Amino acid sequence: MTAAILGTMVVLLLLGFPMMVPLLIGAMVGFVGIFGGIGQLDTLVQQVIAGIQPASLIAVPMFIFAADLMTRGQSAARLIDLVMAFLGHVRGGLAISAAGACTMFGAVSGSTQATVVAVGGPLRPRLLKAGYSDKFTLALIINASDIAFLIPPSIGMIIYGVVSGTSISELFLAGIGPGLLILLLFSIYAYIYAVRHNVPTEPKASWSERGRALARALWPLGFPAIVIGGIYGGVFSPTEAAAACVLYALILEMVIFRDLTLKQLFATAKSTGLITAVVFILIGAGTAFSYIISFAQIPQAILGGIGIDEMGPYGVLFTIAIAFFIGCMFVDPIVVILILVPIFAPVVSASGLDPVLVGTLITLQVAIGSATPPFGCDIFTAIAVFKRPYWEVIRGTPPFIAILLFVSVLLIFFPQIALFLRDMAIS
Amino acid sequence: DTWRYAFEEALDEVQGVFAQKFKEEVEANSDHEVQLFPFGTLGESDNILEQTQSGILQFVNQSPGFTGALIPEAQVFLVPYLLPEDEQQLYSFFRDSEAINGIFPELYAEQGLELLTMYPEGEVMVTSNRPIAAPADFDDVKVRVMTNPLLVSSYQAFGATPTPLPWGEVYGGLQTGIIDGHENPAFFIESTRTFEVQEHITRLGHNNFTTALMANKDFFDGLSEEDQQLIRNATDAAFEHILEYQQGLTEASLEAIEAAKPSITVTTLSEEERAPFRATTEQVEATFLEIGGPRAQEVLDQMKADLEAAGS
Amino acid sequence: MSDTHQPAAGPDQRATGPATAEDDIDDAAYRSGLPGPLGFVDRGIARLEAVILALGVLAMAVNTVANVVGRFVFGRSLYFAEEVNAALIVLITFAGISYAARHGRHIRMSAILDMLPVGPRKLAMIAISALTAALLFLLSWYALDYVMTQASRGRVLPALRIPQWWTLVWVPVGLFLTALQYALTALHNATHPGVWLSTGVKDGYAPAEPEDRP
Ligand code: NA
Ligand code: NA
Repeated sequence: MTAAILGTMVVLLLLGFPMMVPLLIGAMVGFVGIFGGIGQLDTLVQQVIAGIQPASLIAVPMFIFAADLMTRGQSAARLIDLVMAFLGHVRGGLAISAAGACTMFGAVSGSTQATVVAVGGPLRPRLLKAGYSDKFTLALIINASDIAFLIPPSIGMIIYGVVSGTSISELFLAGIGPGLLILLLFSIYAYIYAVRHNVPTEPKASWSERGRALARALWPLGFPAIVIGGIYGGVFSPTEAAAACVLYALILEMVIFRDLTLKQLFATAKSTGLITAVVFILIGAGTAFSYIISFAQIPQAILGGIGIDEMGPYGVLFTIAIAFFIGCMFVDPIVVILILVPIFAPVVSASGLDPVLVGTLITLQVAIGSATPPFGCDIFTAIAVFKRPYWEVIRGTPPFIAILLFVSVLLIFFPQIALFLRDMAIS
Repeated sequence: DTWRYAFEEALDEVQGVFAQKFKEEVEANSDHEVQLFPFGTLGESDNILEQTQSGILQFVNQSPGFTGALIPEAQVFLVPYLLPEDEQQLYSFFRDSEAINGIFPELYAEQGLELLTMYPEGEVMVTSNRPIAAPADFDDVKVRVMTNPLLVSSYQAFGATPTPLPWGEVYGGLQTGIIDGHENPAFFIESTRTFEVQEHITRLGHNNFTTALMANKDFFDGLSEEDQQLIRNATDAAFEHILEYQQGLTEASLEAIEAAKPSITVTTLSEEERAPFRATTEQVEATFLEIGGPRAQEVLDQMKADLEAAGS
Repeated sequence: MSDTHQPAAGPDQRATGPATAEDDIDDAAYRSGLPGPLGFVDRGIARLEAVILALGVLAMAVNTVANVVGRFVFGRSLYFAEEVNAALIVLITFAGISYAARHGRHIRMSAILDMLPVGPRKLAMIAISALTAALLFLLSWYALDYVMTQASRGRVLPALRIPQWWTLVWVPVGLFLTALQYALTALHNATHPGVWLSTGVKDGYAPAEPEDRP
C-alpha cells in the first residue's frame, strides 16, 4: 500500500500532471486500498477543504496582495534602492541582503510562503538585473525563507512543544543559534557565488545619494515597521499585520504616490486570488494526501521495523533527522510533526536526549523539507508567483540543501550550537 | 476487526489517557484491535466527528463545546457555575445524570452517533498577567476564548474582553500581548506551555471541561450483543480510570507549573469573591436558551434536577 | 509631498516582477472553448470567477483590518471574522482553480514532458487533460455529496449561526468547471495543431502569441 500510494504520486508527478492530480490520485489509491472502493471520497473532499481553512493561512494571500501592490507601485523599488545605496558596492551585497531580508521577514510573519512573495517578489528582478542567475536567485529566496522556521515565533516549534511537552520558550531560544549559523553560511555561499560568477558591483554611493535614497524610502519603511514592530509589539497577529500592510500599501500607492488606479487595484486583487488558488489547492490536496498516510498508519509500519530501540543517542538523532527529512519531502511539515513526534517520544526519553535539542533538529529538518521536492509549499508559491517551471525553481537548491544538511550534522555532534543560549538563560 | 478511534488531544493528555485505557480493555477482552489517532493526525475536531458520522472512524472523542455547532443543546456544558465545584458531587453527577444518560443519547442519535459516555477533564482556570479577584480586575483584559457565543457571553458578563484567536496563534499572542489571557484546565495549561508567558492563574470555579466519547451508530447497532457489551465495559473501565486519574491531576499539574515557573501565582477565589461572577449565570443561561436548540429548556431543567440529586 | 511627482520605477525593473501589468489576464480577450450560446454562458462564468477572485481578496483584507480596528478602537473583536475568512478562502480557491485552468496556470512538473517532441507531447497532453478531467468530474460529484450531507446534518458556523454548507457551495461548482476546462483542453489538443495547456494558451512558459489563438 505504501509503495502504491507514494509510487502513484511520484510517477504522475513526473509525467507532468497538474500537481493537484498526483496528490489527489495518490490519496485515492489509499482510500480504495483501505475501503475497497471509492464510496468514502467525500472525506477526501473534506480534507481538501480542511487543509485550506486554518486561520493562520490567511496571512499568505494578504502578504501576496500587499507585495503585489508594493511591486506594482513604488514602495518595493524605493526600499530596494535604499538597500543598494548602502550595499550595492559590496560583493554579493544584494544577495546577502536578500537572504537577511527573507530570514527576518519569514521569522516575524511566520509564513514562509508569504516571504517568498513579499521579499522574493520585489528582489528577484533586481538580483537578475545585478547579474545573478535565476536558478541561484530562486533557490536563495526559497531556502532563506525557510530559515524562518528556526527563528521565533515558529509554528513548527510550538506544535513540537505541545505534542512533546517541551518548553516552547527554550525551543525558541535554541532555534536562534542554528538559524543565524545557516544565514551566515548562506551569506558566505552568496559571496563565493558572486566572486566566482563575477557578479558586478555598483559604484559606491555617496552619502548625499544615500540620504536621498533614505528620504525616498521613508514612507515605504512603514512596512517593516508594521510587520516587525506590530507583531513583536503585540499590536497585530501575523495575519492582521499582513492585512495592515495591504491597507498601508493602498494608502501609499493610491493616495500618496498616486501611482495605482482602481482598475489596477482590481487587476492586482485578481492576480493575488489566482496565485492563492493555485497554491492553496495544492495545500488542500497535500492535506488529503497526508490524511491517507496518517490513516493507513504508514509511518508506524515503516518505523516499527528498523529497531531504533537498540541505537545509541547518535543513532536515534540520525534516524529522527532522516525520518523527518523524508517525511517533509512528501507531506506538510505540521502533519509530519503531529504524526512522528509521538512515535519517537518513548525512544527519545529512553535515550536521555535533551528534548530541546531533538526539537531543534526536527524543526531544522522541517525547514529543509519545505524547500525539498516533490512536495513543498514554498516551491509551489515560487512557481505560481514567478511563473517559472518547476524544474527551474528547484534546480539551484542542491548547494543550499547541502549547507542545511551540514548544519544538521553539526547540530548532532555539537548540540551547544542550539543549546548555549538556552543554557545561558537558565543559569 | 480494526476499530479506529480519534480524539482532540495528545496521547498523554486526559482524552489520550482515556483512549489508551479503552484500547487496553478492548484488546485484553477480545480479538479486536483499536488504532488511536491523537489530535491533528486526521484533521481538526469537526473533521474527525464528521468522519465518525460517515463511518470511516468507529469512535470519536469530541467536547460538547465543539459539538454545539451540530447539537446546540450540548453547549449547556459551557454555562458557568452549572457544574458542581465539589469533586465527589461532580463525579456522581456524571455517573447518574438523566440528562447525560437519557436526553443526550437521543440528541446524538439524531446525528448518527451513539453517545457512550461523558466525562470531566478538569477544572477550567483563567490565566492572565494581572491578578484577578473581582470583575473589575477583568477590565480591558483580552481573554482568548473559542468562537462560541456562550463563552463570549460569559466573559463579557465577567467584565473581560473576550477575544477569539486561532489556537495556533495563542502562545505567540500571549507572549506579545495581543491577548492577555485564556481559559483551560490545568493539565492543558501545563502541556501547552502557555504558563511560560503568563503571570497568574486564577481559579474562578466556573466550569469543568467536559468531553464525550461516541461511536458511529450504524456500526454500534450492527455489532453483536457481545461486542456491544465489550464496548460498554471498556467505556466504563476507562471512565472509572479517568476519574481516578483525575484525583490530584489538577494539583499535580499546578505543582509542575509552579516548579517550572516559580514566579507564577495560583489563586483560588473565595466564596465571597466568586459571588459576583456567579451572579452572571442567569444572563448566560438566557443566551443558552436562545441558541441552545429546541430542547434547550428541557436539558437545562434536567441538568439542574440531576445536580440537585447528585448533591444530596 | 515631494514624493508624489517622482517618476515611477522604469519598466525594465518591473519586467520580471511577480505581477506586472503585462502579465495580467485580460478577461475581455478571453475566448471560451465552447461553441455558440454555451460559449457565451462560459464567458460569463469566466467573468464571474474573475470578480469572485478580486472581490474575495479585497473582502478578506477589509474583514481582517476591521477586526483589528474593532479590537483597538471599540474594544470588541468581530467574533465572526475568522469564519468569514474561512468562507472566503474556500470561495477564492475553488473559483480560482477553474480560472487557472482556463488560462493554463496550474502548477505542474513539466521537465520530462518538455523534452519530448511535439507529437508525443501532444498525445501526452491529451491523456493528461482527459484524466485530470475525469478525476475532477468524479470529485465534483463527491463534493456535491459532501455538501448535501453537511446540509442534512445541519451544522452551523458557531459565531455566525448560519448553515456551514452555504460556505461550501462553490466547491462542487469549482471542481466541475475545472473538470470541464480540462475536458475542453483535451478536445482542443485533439482538434487543433500544436500543444495546448488550455483552450486559449499554448504550451511553453512564454505567453501564447495572439495569432495562435483560435
Ligand atoms: Na519564525
Ligand atoms: Na518537501
